[in-house]
Order: sequence, then C-alpha cells, then structure tokens
Amino acid sequence: MGKGRYLLKRFIYIVFVFFIISILMFAIYKSMPGNPVDIMLGDSKTSMKPDAYQALYDKTVQSLGLDKPLPVQYLAWMGNMLTGEFGYSTKYKQEVINIIGAPMANTVILNLLTMFVVFIIAIPLGIATAVRKNGVFDKSIQVLTIVGYSIPTFIVALLAIFLLAVKIPIFPISGVRSAGSTATGLAAALDMLRHMALPVLVMSVSGIGGITRYVRAAMIDVLRMDYIKTARAKGLREKTVIYIHAFRNALIPVVTVTTWWIVGLFGGSIVIESVFLWPGLGKMLIDGLMQRDFAVVLTMQMFYVVLSLAGNVIMDIAYTLVDPRVRLDG
Amino acid sequence: MREKKLVSLLLAGALTVSLAACGGQEAVTNNQGGSQAETTNPGTAESTRPTEPQGQLIIGSTTQMGNDFYDASFSNNAVNYKTYDLLHGYATVVADMEGALVYDPTVVASHDAVENEDGTKTYTVTINDGLTWSDGTPITAKDYVFQLLLESSPEMNQVDGYPSQAGYSLVGYQEFFDGTTKNFAGVHLVDDMTYSVTVRADELPFHYDIYYAIAIPRPLHVIAPGCDVVDAPEGATITGDFTAELLLETINNPTTGYRYNPKVTCGPYLFDSFDVASAQCTLTVNPSYAGDYRGVKPVIEKLVIKTVKSDTMINELKSGSVDLLFQCSGADTINAGLDLVDAGEAQDNTFFRNGYGRIAFDCSQFPTDSANVRKAIAYCLDRNEFARQYSGGYAAVVHSYYGLAQWEYQESKGWIDQNLNTYEKNLDEAKALLEADGWTLNADGTPYSGTGTRYKDVNGELKPLVIEWANTDGNPVSDLLATMLPEAMNEVGMELKSTTMDFPTLQTAMTHSGDKIYNMYNLAIGFSLVSSPWYYYSTDPAWMQGGYNSNWIVDQELADVTWSMKAIPYEDTEAWLSAWQDFMLIWNDRLPDIPLYSDEYYDFFSNKLHGWESTSVWEWSRAVLDAWVDA
Repeated sequence: MGKGRYLLKRFIYIVFVFFIISILMFAIYKSMPGNPVDIMLGDSKTSMKPDAYQALYDKTVQSLGLDKPLPVQYLAWMGNMLTGEFGYSTKYKQEVINIIGAPMANTVILNLLTMFVVFIIAIPLGIATAVRKNGVFDKSIQVLTIVGYSIPTFIVALLAIFLLAVKIPIFPISGVRSAGSTATGLAAALDMLRHMALPVLVMSVSGIGGITRYVRAAMIDVLRMDYIKTARAKGLREKTVIYIHAFRNALIPVVTVTTWWIVGLFGGSIVIESVFLWPGLGKMLIDGLMQRDFAVVLTMQMFYVVLSLAGNVIMDIAYTLVDPRVRLDG
Repeated sequence: MREKKLVSLLLAGALTVSLAACGGQEAVTNNQGGSQAETTNPGTAESTRPTEPQGQLIIGSTTQMGNDFYDASFSNNAVNYKTYDLLHGYATVVADMEGALVYDPTVVASHDAVENEDGTKTYTVTINDGLTWSDGTPITAKDYVFQLLLESSPEMNQVDGYPSQAGYSLVGYQEFFDGTTKNFAGVHLVDDMTYSVTVRADELPFHYDIYYAIAIPRPLHVIAPGCDVVDAPEGATITGDFTAELLLETINNPTTGYRYNPKVTCGPYLFDSFDVASAQCTLTVNPSYAGDYRGVKPVIEKLVIKTVKSDTMINELKSGSVDLLFQCSGADTINAGLDLVDAGEAQDNTFFRNGYGRIAFDCSQFPTDSANVRKAIAYCLDRNEFARQYSGGYAAVVHSYYGLAQWEYQESKGWIDQNLNTYEKNLDEAKALLEADGWTLNADGTPYSGTGTRYKDVNGELKPLVIEWANTDGNPVSDLLATMLPEAMNEVGMELKSTTMDFPTLQTAMTHSGDKIYNMYNLAIGFSLVSSPWYYYSTDPAWMQGGYNSNWIVDQELADVTWSMKAIPYEDTEAWLSAWQDFMLIWNDRLPDIPLYSDEYYDFFSNKLHGWESTSVWEWSRAVLDAWVDA
C-alpha cells in the first residue's frame, strides 16, 4: 500500500511538473527572436516575386497554426503531443516522428557502448583503489582519474584523433560507417564499431574518471563500517567481504549515477557529435534551435523532462532494491 | 551571341587570374605566381580518360546532407541541391561552363521564340528523340509539360507547402494555381516531342528571357501513375486522378516517395541510397544518360557524398577516407592542403569565389541613410589588410557589386582600375565626408572639438554619430572587424556599438521583422548566374520587404540604372556591359555595402582523380562529368 501510494503521488507530481515545464518551455521558445517561417521558406524569398512569396508565407503560417493566439497554439501542440503527434519540422519539412529516429538510435548506441565500457572499467577500478587506499596504485589512479575528468572532452577528442587516426591510423577520423561500404550483417556491425571506437574512448575517459572516484569514495565509507569488520572477523574470504558485503552497501551512490547515466543515454553530446561527425540528438537539438525548428526542439525538451522525472522515480525504486532499509512510503 | 561566347571563353580565363585579377587593385592573394584556376594535377599525364565508367569517388562536404532530393523548394541544403543536379538532367536550358545560358543541344532538337501581338512571347521547344528515363521509359514532351503543370499546381502546393511557382511568369498561371481552371493557358503540348510556353507581357522584356523556355522533365508515370497530360485550346492539363493525396503518396511517402527515394531519374547519376544514420549518399552512374550540353557522359562509376569537418578534412583526404574536398577556404585548411600537394599526396584546383564577404548597411536607418556616413566608415578600414588577415592571403578585394568570376568583371578590369573608388584607408577623407554631412557639433552643441563622438543637428535635435552593428557569434569576420574598426571610427568621431546574436535574430533585424535598430551587419553575398540587380536596388517597398533590396536603399539613380539593364537583350553583351559599368560606378559611389574580401577557393583531391576542372560557375556537380578515377 505504501509503495502504491508513493507511486501515485509521484505520478501526480510528474504530471503537474510536466505541464508547468511545458508551458514555460513553450513560452520561452515562442518568445525567441527569429522567424521560423522565414527560415523554413529560405531562398524562396529571393526566388519568388514578393506578392507570391507573401501568399506562400501567409499560407505556411496558417498551415502551421502560427496565426492563432499563443494559448491556442499551446493547447493544439500539447493535445497533439499527448496523442503521439510531435508536430512538423520547419527545417526538415517532415513530421518530427519521421526524422528523430535515426539520430536517437545513433545517440543511444554510442551512449550504451560508452556506459558499458565505463562501468566495466570504473567499478572494479573504484573497488580496487578503495581496497588499496593510499597505496601507490590508488594514488596513481587518483591522479589519472582527476586528469581524465578535468581535461575538456574537446581536447581529448582532438588528441585522440591526432594520435589514433592521423599519426597511427588505426581508427577512422569521423563518421558512422565507411563511405561507400556495402557491408552487411556482422561486417557492417564491425565497421560501425570501428567508427565508434574513438568517440567511445573519448566519452569514456571522463566517465571512468568520475565514476571510479565515486565508487572509491562509497567503498571507503562502507569498508570502515563495523559490519565489515565483523564479516572479516567471521573469517569470510576477502573477495566475499568486498564484493558481497561492502559493494552491495556502496551501491546507493552508484545507483544514483547509473540512473542518471541511463537517463542520459538519450542526451546527445554536441561536442562529441560535432568532432566525430556522429549525427545524434545533440546536434539535432542545436540545429533545431539555430533554425527555430520549435517542433523538434520542444519534442526533445519534453522528452528529456519526462525522462528526468521518470528517472527520479526509477532511482527511488532502485534504492529499495539495493537497500531493503529504504522504504517508499512517501 | 558569338560575342557572348567569346566573352564567356574569356571568363574561363577569369578564373585563371591571380594578382592580375585585381588589376591595379591591391590583391592580397598568395597565389601570385601562376594563374588563378590553376590545377596541380601530377597524375593526369599518365592517365587517360576511360571509355567505360569505373571506380568510386568519395566527396567530402562540410555541410551535412539530408534525405531530400527534390528541388531546392523543399530543401535549402546546398549539397542536397547539387545531388539533385546530378540526379536530374535534360533541362532544355542550361548554364554552360562559362555561365552563359544556352539551349542544351543534347535535349533540344529545335527551338523558336515568337513575339505575339498582345506583347506576350511564345517559346516552342522540340525535344530530341531517344532520351529515356532510367527505367527505360522514353522521355517525351509530356514529361516536360507535366513538370510545368505539376510544379505550378494547387495540388503540389499541398505537399509540404511546395511553392508551385514553376510557371509563374506564364499566361494563365494565377488561374491555374488558384484552381479556377484545370488548363494552364500558357502551356501547350504541341505534339509528342514539342511543347510551348507563353510568357505574360508584363514579364517582358527581360534580360534572361531565354530562361522562360526552361522545363525539366519529371517522370509522369512515376509521380502521377494513371494520369496523362493532354492539350486543349485553353491550355495543357493533367487528366485522371491527379490529387494532392496522390502526390502525398508518390512524392511525400517517407520511404517510397520521389522526394526521398527518386529511383526513376534521367541525370548523369542514379540514386542508389541515402544512409540516414551516417548522412551519406551513394549515387551510381546512369548508363542511359545521353550526356550534358556538350555530350559529355560521366565515367566515374560511383559517387559517395559524406560529411567532413573543416578541422580534420585534410587529414581525411590524407588517410584516403575522402577523395575530393571542394571549395575549401581559410588559411589553415588551404595551407594544410597545399602541404599535402607539395608532398605529392594530393592535387589542387583553385579559383575565386563569385561573391564577397561584406558589411551590409541598412540605408533606411539613421545615420547610415547618408552615403557620406557609409563612405566615411569605408575610409576607416584598411580592406586589403583586413582581407589579408582574415584569409591568410587567400582572398582578393573587390570595390563594387561584382564577383571575380563574372565575365563583366573580366571585361572591365582596366575600366574598374580607372573609374572605381578603392576607398583606401584615409581618416582625413572620412572626417571631411562627415563634416560635409553636418556632423560638426559636440554633445553640447558647440563646434566639434576634434575628439569624442560627433553630433548633428537634425530638426533641432542633437543626434550622436553612433553606428549600431549587429553581428553573429563565433564569426571570425566579426572578430576582426571588432579589432580593426572601432579605433579608427572613434578617431574620426564615430562610435561603433556592437551587438552579437545568432543568425536568425540577425535575419529578423535585417528584414525589419523585429525592432529596427541596426545600421550595419556583416555577412556574405554570392552571385547567381541569373542576377537581377533591378530587384535588389528597386525603390518599390515590395522589393524591400520581400528581402530583395536588403540594404533598404532608396536611390533613384541606382534604381534607374539597374532597371535599364532588365530590358537589354541577352545577346547584346555590349549594351549590357556598358549598363553594368554604369551600375558599378553608381553603386561604388552610393556604397550600400562595403565589400570586404572575395575568397580564393581550393579543391583538394587525391591523386587517383584526374581531369578535375571546377570553377565557381562550373561547380563540382558539373566538373565530375569530365573527371575520372583510377580503377
């Protein structure tokens, strides 16, 4: 009953916040200078006679519903949004639903692989450094992780390209797959993996740096606890103490980071996407903003809002799974 | 016309001018040793053009492509448009290598133009037999008439707001577009291989009137299956179930629509695929293509167009992940490319851009409504130094509304040197112009002391000489102007106020859609082959609000001189050149823009590519027809 009531309360809260944010977002974007219709019609302005252009302009304004008062526009937008119609992209001149799939897939694939690499390295590394606290290994890793997450991604990316694509040409400089490749199946997947290597490497550098330190700090706190001493006194193997008793209790902060990382799977990185020419959601969002393509921008923003709000709930539920002491009773 | 062709041939040389290109003007180009359209092409000597298509060319573009391959009305993306150009051929009127508009003899068997008694003009064009679509279907005059009808129709207008303007200048367009008649009075299907178009009297005379005869075939059997084009005394029409719903399926279906998946075309290349995830487009040679206006057919079997980043594109060329980078500009990229050429790892081809970077004035806004103020600002800037610093030496300076690739410029170099003001930096001249314009007071109304901002008495109100400048962020031109201009302007008594914004905001300001605040902007202009200065400097408010007269300049002399050019017959190059020079002279005096630099573009390409000759009027999508690659 407690958990159900909690979830209901959170759901109501999410709905309330969703609508408040949607109104704010809509108002902010609509008040931005720049005319989306002018941008949409582009060169038509100087390739058509002024009267013909004006007629086309008026018709476009009407077809996009931009001639209606803002509250009416908001209600129409929100109504469509709730029924799965995300609007019409003025940049791509297509329905948003038709254009958002490919960049979303690119972003998710890249982030999933990065997450896998980061967690597979950072968690054992964090545990190992915590166990060997203040040793040479720990101190070396501390220095490296600080360097890792403090160097700007842009610099790491350029360095990686210079070293691993230009000087020692192991990986391609940019792109998603080899130009003109006719590979299919496994060969195509391997080609894509090869293209993902550098962006994943660059994204992992800062991720590994941050999460290693996070896990290390959590583990150090837990390893000081009396129940760890008790476990050791009982004669349990050190591996059992570390991985079963200590790590499970250090999971709460890790769950927090993991949840946000999962939420962030759908968040593109404009830096990575630009440097490695990986067409993802980050670039799409920036392009949308620069072109005043509000249907695309608002769809993405509201998607992130839902993800963030849902992420909080998922995180709370995950806490109860890793730590039975945590109760969802509101 | 013969004279025009001669001039046009000279234009090819236009692109082979370096220091001399600027005549007595101080050029800033590094390319002082050789010709401008020079190609360093070490491999060509050993390679001969194959007779059958072979090999693959990977073209790197700094603009990311989208999956839209209809014409520019759906997509403004320049690379998409060039791809469209490669897919769609057989236009009846084309621009030749020198930029002159000509009937395409590969397509047109005969043509005729008749001036009618009511002032209209009828062009009749007969198509050659033997042209086919890529699926083998013969191309007939119906496909040409279909394009004119389709792209003027209200049905097409309902496909994502397509402008439907193809027949705008023809008799009966408005009635057809409005849907009040199903027949387009100005378009006729004369016979299976002949069509005619009749141009409205109010659209004539027009310098580029040959352009009215243009039609581009569209596959009637693919876009409107089950429909037909038939003629009637009241004009041609499309019969059958020709509806917006049909077009939304045949053109706009995201998977199979002609816009996204043009599988039946007639250009030099065929659409193979567009990979949305990587934004890469693959084209394959069209075996049934009859050739361009010279009869040239492509011999590169496969083209792949991929996105590259300007910071790393030379590395991509070196690594072999691209074969061609076109229209590269900026010292860093060019120097890196030339290093590759020097090392024998690549080749280059260079030419001047047909346009210029500029300071554009809003001539309707105080105080830049005064030519003296605009000229005083020009005298505050060392434009040669500006171009040198901005481009690293890969640019030239122009002094009026012309591009270095225009034949008129080539014909007028000596005249330009003698007649145009080059506005060399001269602060004394700037001060004198301001004094003459009445900027002679201090803020308290006393005579100007020689320091600080000047004031002017305007209808009893003291107004300061403040120039509001709108510029975009991350723009090296803005950064350099911000370094070079303010101090000199202060010295002559002007204050420059800079506001940085993104481009859509700047566009809103320029078009007066938002608050009318700014006096000047910095941006660029490119000259199309069909340049219409009579619209750009028209005093009619409609042309200003319509975005043509983007300077908002109301100058009757400028408007008159450009209007006089509109009626000059296309073949009368002598009269055109004379009028053009008059226009340049007046423009140079009124100075609605300050031209800043005209880039020197470089194409860099791998040693496997041969026969590459592109210019700013014969761009990469055309040059690829003559080129070949090693197998």
